[in-house]
Amino acid sequence: MSPHLLCILIPLLPLLGFVVNGLGFRKVPTSLVGIVGLAGPVLAFLCVCLLWGNFHAGNDAVIKTTLFDWISVGEMHINFSFQIDQLTMLMLGIVTGIGSLIHLYSIGYMNHDEGYGKFMAFLNLFLFFMLLLVLGSNFVIMFIGWEGVGLCSYLLIGFWNTNTSYNNAARKAFVMNRIGDLGFLLGIFTIMTTFGSVEYTDVFEQVVGMDVNAPVILTITLLLFVGAMGKSAQIPLFTWLPDAMAGPTPVSALIHAATMVTAGIYMVVRANVLFSMAPLTLDIIGGIAIATALLAASIGLLQNDIKKVLAYSTVSQLGYMFLGLGAAAYTAGMFHVITHAFFKALLFLGAGSVIHAMSNEQDIRNMGGLRKSLPITYWTFLVGTIAIAGIPPFAGFFSKDEILAHVYEHSKVLWALGLLGSAMTSFYMFRLLFLTFFGEFRGTDEQKHHLHESPLSMTLPLLVLAVLSVVGGFMNVPEVLGGHSVLAEFMSPLFDQARQANPALFEANALDHGTELMLMSISAGVAIVMAVVAYVMYVRNAAVPAPDSQVRSLPQQVVYGKYYIDDFYDRLIVRPVRGLGDAFYSLGEFVIDAVVGGVAWSVRSSAGVFRRAQSGSIGLYVLLMVLSITLFIALRFFNWKVFN
Amino acid sequence: MNPSLSYSLLFVAAALFSIGLAVVITKRHAVVVLMGIELMLNAVNLNLVAFSQYDPSRLQGQVFSLFVMIVAAAEAAVALALIIQVYRHVKTVVLDELTDLKQ
Amino acid sequence: MTFQTYDCLQMLPIILLSLSGIALLFLGFQKSRALLLPATLLFLVIAFVANFLDWGKTYMYFRDMLLVNNLAMIFTGVVLLSTFMVVSLSGSLADDEDAQPAEYYAILLFSLVGAIMMIGFENLIMLFVGVEILSVAMYILTGSDKRNLRSNEAALKYFLMGAFATGILLFGIALLYGATGSFVLSGIGNYAHSATNAGGSMLLFYVGMFMLLIGMLFKVSAAPFHFWTPDVYDGAPSLFTAYMSTVVKTAGFAALLRILSVSFSGVYDFWWVAMAVVTVLTLLIGNITAVYQASFKRMMAYSSISHAGYLLIGLVGLSQASKPAIAFYSLAYSLSTIAAFGVLMLVARNRPLNAAVFGDQTTLARTDEHYDAFNGLARKNPLLGFVMAVSMLSLAGIPLTAGFWGKFMVFSAAADRGAVWLLVVAVLMSAVGIYYYFRVVIAMYFREGQTDTIRVAPFYRIVLIAATVLTLALGLLPNLFQGLI
Repeated sequence: MSPHLLCILIPLLPLLGFVVNGLGFRKVPTSLVGIVGLAGPVLAFLCVCLLWGNFHAGNDAVIKTTLFDWISVGEMHINFSFQIDQLTMLMLGIVTGIGSLIHLYSIGYMNHDEGYGKFMAFLNLFLFFMLLLVLGSNFVIMFIGWEGVGLCSYLLIGFWNTNTSYNNAARKAFVMNRIGDLGFLLGIFTIMTTFGSVEYTDVFEQVVGMDVNAPVILTITLLLFVGAMGKSAQIPLFTWLPDAMAGPTPVSALIHAATMVTAGIYMVVRANVLFSMAPLTLDIIGGIAIATALLAASIGLLQNDIKKVLAYSTVSQLGYMFLGLGAAAYTAGMFHVITHAFFKALLFLGAGSVIHAMSNEQDIRNMGGLRKSLPITYWTFLVGTIAIAGIPPFAGFFSKDEILAHVYEHSKVLWALGLLGSAMTSFYMFRLLFLTFFGEFRGTDEQKHHLHESPLSMTLPLLVLAVLSVVGGFMNVPEVLGGHSVLAEFMSPLFDQARQANPALFEANALDHGTELMLMSISAGVAIVMAVVAYVMYVRNAAVPAPDSQVRSLPQQVVYGKYYIDDFYDRLIVRPVRGLGDAFYSLGEFVIDAVVGGVAWSVRSSAGVFRRAQSGSIGLYVLLMVLSITLFIALRFFNWKVFN
Repeated sequence: MNPSLSYSLLFVAAALFSIGLAVVITKRHAVVVLMGIELMLNAVNLNLVAFSQYDPSRLQGQVFSLFVMIVAAAEAAVALALIIQVYRHVKTVVLDELTDLKQ
Repeated sequence: MTFQTYDCLQMLPIILLSLSGIALLFLGFQKSRALLLPATLLFLVIAFVANFLDWGKTYMYFRDMLLVNNLAMIFTGVVLLSTFMVVSLSGSLADDEDAQPAEYYAILLFSLVGAIMMIGFENLIMLFVGVEILSVAMYILTGSDKRNLRSNEAALKYFLMGAFATGILLFGIALLYGATGSFVLSGIGNYAHSATNAGGSMLLFYVGMFMLLIGMLFKVSAAPFHFWTPDVYDGAPSLFTAYMSTVVKTAGFAALLRILSVSFSGVYDFWWVAMAVVTVLTLLIGNITAVYQASFKRMMAYSSISHAGYLLIGLVGLSQASKPAIAFYSLAYSLSTIAAFGVLMLVARNRPLNAAVFGDQTTLARTDEHYDAFNGLARKNPLLGFVMAVSMLSLAGIPLTAGFWGKFMVFSAAADRGAVWLLVVAVLMSAVGIYYYFRVVIAMYFREGQTDTIRVAPFYRIVLIAATVLTLALGLLPNLFQGLI
């Protein structure tokens, strides 16, 4: 099949699934819902594989497919077109591949839910928008995908909408994302006015000749990054992501770990030419990223909800990805996106399996000893934990290490902080593992009686993802370990323009092999040490986190309370805004009433005049018409002096 | 052709038009209003024929005035039919007494 | 651009429509009325196809009387499509003992001939004849509900004012002829160019131009020449109101666009302020008065005035861009308006006159077209609710509907001319518009009402759905249509 047809088919297949399941909700039989829902992503994945073959055969040249001329405004034409290059291929692979696995998992996880068909339909719709986001060849299509995935995320977080707190979580996600989207949108507008186009290729070509750190580039990149902050949960717009875990677990895995939240990283890598021209923005990104990584990791240390721990871990890992981007190590950032997609999807699905077995219990203080009853879940979860902790040779080690190595070139302080974060990651992940699967079972008897391994449709994705988490790192083994950095080579053409535009940024003060090896062993060593510490604390000493009622020391209290950021936002923004609203309301009741009343009065009285003219008497109508004709002609001729 | 003659024709036509206009505005009887409109149309005809003298091909204005007459006849037929219809309902054709539609 | 001259038998739509109108009159002698509707629709489809046969070419017909180019074909396509939809919503005529469907359909087809002449005229004679064919047909259709005094009264008033406006229009044409010695648009345009360059008095020309424009502005119901509109739209049967507010308006704007761009573009500086004033007045009066209407149908009349205002913005910012803008706007407006009237007719027919509730005489007449008639509609009739909601959103110009792009295009045409203050008024008035359009949506979705499930004939349903889908499709992909022009 021609690559153009494939491009069109890829997003269309999930959309088809959405249409069938969405329109036929409650009509399509349950057995069919799963097949229809799964067929879209799987077929799309096959298309991606075919496309990959095509792409390679064409010597990795960029493929562009224009579907139609979409919007024409004056001189500007926005096409509805897709662009296939290395970056798109990688994202397509992740989205459809992991998407398919999670759809398969959802069949097992959700088929008892009464909204099963609706759920599958939304999941398919999400996939469609996500594919649109990564396929689009201009910022406007990206924005549509961006908004679409936001909408689906909102719908799916609030999927069990009978629960108010879930609805609040959905609304919070929605509002925070809108703040980010506003930045993104303003960025797109600035691009439009500056370059007169939104097509990636056109824009990037024009950027190459500009000055480094030109104000307009800084404005654009900062605005775009605000968008990324919202979608990829960076400080200060990160608090929605942990709350978003209210949605069903497959949603957390697909949307809030593997794909949607990485859209911000995708966008920065996509616009790498712009960002490379704005080193100042990159520095800001790096600063925000490390702060996010550390803050979220430290919160994760004391959380007791299995999904919350994973959520904070996701925020922290996203911070790592941005840290890499901040050091202009775009490949490393994308590499971490890929490996993170593997092991975080795995961890979430594993957590889902645990929750499923524990009859919707999410508190790890009530778990323990699940190793025996859930063997597959346990082993795969263990793989995921090792991978995320950064212990070689699992996937997370390579990607995180590459980021840290690049950061080390950039700034040693940032590296040290990154290492600290990595230590914390290793600790809280092993803490989670040990508390869940080791020791004695701490739940109720009823739960214990109910414990069971999940069905095949759920364990199969776990196994596949576990394999990927083990071997995923080998796609970019650094030279020092005898590899060839395959991924880096593959992605290299993406950054040609950036290199040409701002060579200074890429001047390699490459680390010598000795230093690189040293850095690797330090981070691996730290991860292992922290794992041992967690083992000692939670297995040897069988410590169990204190119940909520117990008094904590002040620092513990602060961390446990998530640094009170939510309360802080509540105090600083929500309440003042509401208070301001109240103040305006009471003070404004007078003023606004007067203004509104005035406007309403003038509208009403003018409408009164108009209506009185509409008396039904045609004599009056004709008279008014003649008067206005006379007035027009008189004004025209006597005022504008045509006679001279 | 004498320009002053065409000027005087213009004035006559304008006067005729204005009289028609005044009739439409001031009279309340539907048939009289219709007559006022016919006056306006005939003023136009006069104008067209007068201007036709300056036209190199001569005939355009006069042909146009034929069209106007035909259309005016058709309009009058429709108008009288409508007036009779209304008369059947309310036994009057004085426009000010027809006030079912307003505002 | 070379004009090829062809003689008759080429201007197919006009000839086909006239012939099929006559054929329909003969079909009316048949006992069976069931045949009329499909026959009319078939004739319209044939005319629609015939219209686009010359696609991509530019021809002058009947010795420089009519011009046919892509733009004219698009406008003709829009009026044919609108008529097709209106006719398909007329199924109930066959059940009405007093109605004369054969005559109505024949008159509709004849009036279309007038509309097509207004769209493509090159000679002012054609403009006049076209306007008259369309108008006289409308007088008759307005009064077609013979038992209803309101319908007759509306027809009489429409006639008297319409004929008056025709007088003004004709006087303008006569003066233009006197000034330029020609009825041909390009001839008048040449005169305007050379005379402005030569200097000297152009009094006759300017007065003629003004009177011609005023006559046309009356036909498209621009303020302050709009007084007939609410009364006539209110009094006429809803079916023909839908026809008037779409086809007549589209044809009128096509004619205005044609004459302004061909004949008067050379004296743009002279007329644009006056047109801008008319535009502002139209926007103000249309939107503000619409807010205070209790009857949905009357609101739609004022809404049609306000849309004339938006279309006028496209004319004030006259440029190449305003041609597709006005065509697109007309299409978007026609689709939504016809769909809205389609739902209104269903709702009104389904409600027996509840005169007991509203005791007094004035409200007795049309309580079935009141906003309250829509209360709770969407609960029992989700399809009708959705169709109506999409129409209202499109008329209000909410994004993702065709109406948004229509407004966007005319606004950007005017923005290119730098008429910012005009746009400020227009945007403010669109905000006012949202208020009264949303009243319907709120009534349908959030009010309690005792509407029953309304039975909708399958074909009727298809037309409503098609209009809605088209509105949304144009809203999502405006270039699908724009690419044609």
